Amino acid sequence: MGIIATSRLKSPWIMHFDNSSCNGCDIEVLACLTPLYDVERFGIVNMGNPKHADVLVVTGPVNRRTARVLKNLYEQIPGPKMVIAVGTCGTSGGVFHNCYNVLGGVDKVIPVDVYVPGCAARPEAIIDGVVLALQKLAKLQGVAL
Amino acid sequence: MAPRTITPFGPQHPVLPEPIQLKLELEDERVVGVVPAIGYGHRGIEKACELNEYPKNIYLCERICGICSAIHGMTYCDVVEKLWPLEIPPRASYLRTIWAEMARTHSHLLWLGLLADAFGFESMFMQYWRIREKVLDILEITTGHRVTQSVSIVGGVRRDIDDDQKKHCIEVLKDVRKEAEALNNVLVNDYTVKARTVGKGVLSYDQAIALGLCGPHLRASGVKEDCRTQGYWAYGDLSYEPIVATGGDSFSRAAVRVGELYQAIDLQLEAFGKLPEGELAAKPKGNPPANEAVSRVEQPRGEVFYYAKGNGTRNLERLRVRTPTYANIPSLLVMLPGCELADVPIIVLSIDPCISCTER
Amino acid sequence: MIDKLKEISKDQLLAEVKKYADAKARFVTGSANDLGDKLEITYFFNASPGMDLSALRFSVGKDEEVPSMTGIYLTAVLIENEMKELFGLKVKDLAIDFGGHMMLAQDSPVLPMLKTEEQLAAGKKGGN
Ligand code: SF4
Repeated sequence: MGIIATSRLKSPWIMHFDNSSCNGCDIEVLACLTPLYDVERFGIVNMGNPKHADVLVVTGPVNRRTARVLKNLYEQIPGPKMVIAVGTCGTSGGVFHNCYNVLGGVDKVIPVDVYVPGCAARPEAIIDGVVLALQKLAKLQGVAL
Repeated sequence: MAPRTITPFGPQHPVLPEPIQLKLELEDERVVGVVPAIGYGHRGIEKACELNEYPKNIYLCERICGICSAIHGMTYCDVVEKLWPLEIPPRASYLRTIWAEMARTHSHLLWLGLLADAFGFESMFMQYWRIREKVLDILEITTGHRVTQSVSIVGGVRRDIDDDQKKHCIEVLKDVRKEAEALNNVLVNDYTVKARTVGKGVLSYDQAIALGLCGPHLRASGVKEDCRTQGYWAYGDLSYEPIVATGGDSFSRAAVRVGELYQAIDLQLEAFGKLPEGELAAKPKGNPPANEAVSRVEQPRGEVFYYAKGNGTRNLERLRVRTPTYANIPSLLVMLPGCELADVPIIVLSIDPCISCTER
Repeated sequence: MIDKLKEISKDQLLAEVKKYADAKARFVTGSANDLGDKLEITYFFNASPGMDLSALRFSVGKDEEVPSMTGIYLTAVLIENEMKELFGLKVKDLAIDFGGHMMLAQDSPVLPMLKTEEQLAAGKKGGN
């Protein structure tokens, strides 16, 4: 396999986007970067720029204002790309299902590869979700993880 | 005169995990005007609270904000209890107080970490968050969840803290205090920190009141005002004195939060010592009656204001939530003009913005 | 029950608010409620320093204009914009006008906080 495909799997760059979440899951995504969970040991790096990212981690339900932003970000990420919806409200709208400004889960706007449930999703679950996404990516590229 | 440019700050910005946009009007490096654009996090929770039955709103209110989640739930219960009014058992009051202070401890550690990160002190950020995990651990042990604790119900609390847990919590809290002291000493004495914060974003006593600030932001300008002095829950029994600073700048805000971090730990230890035995919850009779109530509770970021109006049905007629950041954001309109572009992130961070709260 | 609630008319609003400003009170927040044919607006103030809450309340017809208090308390800018957007309160002379898109996006529901017929009916029945 090529060097690019390997590095994409061994050191995926992640971009985190917060829709209109309650913050719980965002803080847990951030907590993944800190010493106790430390995702950097898997080569995972958090990025602010969509053009550098391989994996898009989305928290929170899509609302009418962020839908456009989310779609735009997704389109800017170069393929092959993975989308992870984190938290119950990111996967389905969850507790916000009857709020007027909420459209629902992330999959209402962009295709989602991995769903991480939990309200808030635990850091372990989020890391697990990223690993699952990488396995999927490996299969897609036809290489071993 | 130098030409003016408009630079957007956000909605995605490294110091803010959440989306907010500030349109900064710049003259070279100096900010001359600012217009905040919010609304990225608006969901419509107040309306949904009218549509849901009142016991279900607890879960919704807890998800107004994931950092002060426990306190949101408690305040919602508090305001609904006031509609009857319904007295909660003393043990429940103490437990609420303990969990509220635990939430404050982890929230202030979180903020101190973000502040360190904003200076580029990345290792310090990591250290603060490492300590914070210990607080989250005891939260998880006592409530069942790290972030969304969901312990309050209308009439009291849902879970108890037993003696083993109590002993463990006390040990951990003492440990956290010791570790935090070491870090805070660096933060408040370091000269680079001072260079970046002292005299930045100054608000005088009168300005602070005119702007309607709340929480540490208000107290850093010398106003001795804290909702906990109302003595709700167990605060009336505990020895408690608001922490104030007089500088009114970003450094004073950090100093107030550092003080409150220790104070929160002391309050928990004191409350654990005095924890009375007894029931966990009182049972509400029937639906909330046609009445109005207001509840003001001190969150880590300042005063949260709940207004509820019942009408005798299972649904509330109106619930209004004003979160601390909602009160603190307009102060950016005054603090930012005149500062340098490089200082914007620190000044914005100094109000401890929590956007999902603000927009609900 | 809210202690220290004062019922006023909308024409007295600015004069009353001015009194609070002169006494160096802190503006806390406002709240609107849909009464069916009218909007009921309540503003809360706190006598600082301390924890002494008082309130002003008035009701207006849905097409009546209300003066803005942002000239006195700049911080009211968020709540007045919000009431304008979510309840359709017509606020005059706002210091910063977000043009109805502070909270809501282009395709959000219009005036979402107004009550539906069923909600109003249920409220009346329960209240008696
Ligand atoms: S899943 Fe729960 S904790 Fe996570 S953002 Fe949604 S409401 Fe908040």
